[in-house]
Amino acid sequence: MGKAVVSVKKLTKQYKNLKAIDNLSFDVFQGEILGLLGPNGSGKSTTINCILSLLNFSKGSIQIFGKEMDPSAYDLKREIGVVFQDVAVFDELTVFENIDYFCGLYISDKQTRRKYVEDAIHLVGLEEFQKFYPKQLSGGLLRRLNIACGVAHKPKLIILDEPTVAVDPQSRNNILDGIRFLRDQGSTVIYTTHYMEEVEILCDRVIILDRGKVIASGTIDELKKLAKLEEKVTVEVYDLDLKYIEEIKSFRNALEVSYHNGVLLVTYKKGKDNLVEIMEYLKKNKICYHKIFSERPTLNDVFLELTGKELRD
Amino acid sequence: MFFHNFKYALKKLIRNRMLLFWTFAFPIILGTFFSMAFSDIENSEKLHVIDIAIVENDVFENNLLYKETFLALGDKNSDEQLFSIQYVDLAQAEELLSKDEIVGYLFLDKTPQIVIGANGINETIFKYVVEQIGQMEDVFQASLENKLRDSKDLTSLDSWYVELYQQTMEYFNKEQAMIQDISSTHLNYTMIEYYTLIAMTCLYGGILGMNVINQCLANMSSNGKRTSISPSSKWKLIFSSALAGYIVQVFGLLLLFLYTIFVLQVDYGSHFFLVVLLSLIGSFAGLSLGVFIASLFPSNENTKFGIIISVTMLGCFFSGMMGITMKYVVDQSFPLVNYLNPANMITDGLYALYYYNTLDRFCFNLVSLFLFSFVLILISIFSLRRQKYDSI
Repeated sequence: MGKAVVSVKKLTKQYKNLKAIDNLSFDVFQGEILGLLGPNGSGKSTTINCILSLLNFSKGSIQIFGKEMDPSAYDLKREIGVVFQDVAVFDELTVFENIDYFCGLYISDKQTRRKYVEDAIHLVGLEEFQKFYPKQLSGGLLRRLNIACGVAHKPKLIILDEPTVAVDPQSRNNILDGIRFLRDQGSTVIYTTHYMEEVEILCDRVIILDRGKVIASGTIDELKKLAKLEEKVTVEVYDLDLKYIEEIKSFRNALEVSYHNGVLLVTYKKGKDNLVEIMEYLKKNKICYHKIFSERPTLNDVFLELTGKELRD
Repeated sequence: MFFHNFKYALKKLIRNRMLLFWTFAFPIILGTFFSMAFSDIENSEKLHVIDIAIVENDVFENNLLYKETFLALGDKNSDEQLFSIQYVDLAQAEELLSKDEIVGYLFLDKTPQIVIGANGINETIFKYVVEQIGQMEDVFQASLENKLRDSKDLTSLDSWYVELYQQTMEYFNKEQAMIQDISSTHLNYTMIEYYTLIAMTCLYGGILGMNVINQCLANMSSNGKRTSISPSSKWKLIFSSALAGYIVQVFGLLLLFLYTIFVLQVDYGSHFFLVVLLSLIGSFAGLSLGVFIASLFPSNENTKFGIIISVTMLGCFFSGMMGITMKYVVDQSFPLVNYLNPANMITDGLYALYYYNTLDRFCFNLVSLFLFSFVLILISIFSLRRQKYDSI
């Protein structure tokens, strides 16, 4: 791990009777993409707003690049780029003007700025829409513009707060590719989302938040090891007798067996050849099935196991 | 950074249709309606030459002051003719009055007697002029007696007399001009409406002020969040944006002046520079009001917009936009309301320019307006100093 770019220590934020962040501590290391994963209301955006010194917090400390963050720390702010969950662009300015305006708050040299703006437009693939006004853009293109406005000044630390909410698959891929490119260029990224698939394909390390607390953290593989289950096998089968379900439950590695609406779901704690075992069992008992597939556990399974609820609850 | 933000703030304001409507179009549309609605009233109330008679007798013939004054006020070749005078004997004067061919007649005996047929504005003006001549005659008489008592060299009396006579005639010319001015041009409904229209346009600068603040504060808008996390000074952002807002506001005001002067043929009189000065301070007051409301009320943009429009329209209503009577009622019954009402400060300042010979009341309103803006800005600065929020 490189040196810590962001260091959050014992951060607590309280709203009257509600603790939005509860004694939260974590570091973000140089050159990594850190995913902050958690359901809505878990404290992701509040944490980001505290890091950016927009919100007062009750206790704790936040350091960025080794310095205490505060609203007048302009030297630190110069190195940070933020993409908020809500699209923050001006309807009265074109795509180019929006990016140029926000970039101009960081970069005063006109020529450098122009180059940066063009790079940002290229990064998000908005070359053909430079003269469009935000209202003329689709939701996905608007999100891309939102990202370009946040990162045009080539910051060393980029914070993206759910940048892909309500985005079409094409734009989502473009956005994720862009974030990877920024990391490859040397930026450190904090990425908050409640889409576990994005975290799995994008993040080097993940912190799972719930009710303002860290409930787990580590690499994707490390987190998955926290789950008891190792494999999930799903079988589409109609009219399965109860006796068969009971027999499957007695399989060597079976952890849980459920059968609802013609779908048999078997979770395994460990072991190999679980799929072969069940296929042979079905064949031996002449049970006709339509579809069968095996899955590795997801972060949602980890979250479910740790909290008893789904990530998207 | 200042000019970068200023340039884009101007672009944003100029391209914002809603702001343009309220700042540029709405006052012009309202002004057009005023012009259509009040032109008939104005014409019907315009002062015409007043028909009077003067009874010719020795007293009148020997009283130079009366004779010369009425000669001047009845001059048919003058643009400022106030009276159409018939010099008749007493019986003819009575007959003319009974036939309503004159509003009244003057009969000079030991004291001047005015006989009128009815009560009305023309009769009041006739009476007012005669009273003014009478007062001046008294002053003239008293001065002469003092001079005679004090003077040892009677030869100097001739030149003094000429000087006094000239001063007296000058005074009457001014009085006549004032009567004409008040009666036929400025003391009418339409002008009051235009004053309130200017006040309204100035105060609509509040919408621009609110917009400026909302775009700069993290707890007001997404764009505010984004600008707040940039390494740009909040004060630079606010001042450069406010300057852009003020320029747009002044441009809107300029359009209103051009439209009312050249299209609606509104005559703002000889104090146009002062009208503009008051309007510029008024625009500053409007901007301050918007900044104040935006920085102190933690509500959404639509609510703040509603507050600004409501405050402006209520202020204009109290200052006579929907009828001058309201201004008098508030002035008489709740004077504090209008002392604190920026719309009234503007309206009353413009009104005072024409109604009073001195600039005292105008200056009072000008200074009040400036103080009003200063206090609002001061409170806003205090509120805007906060850099972190409890919730966003």
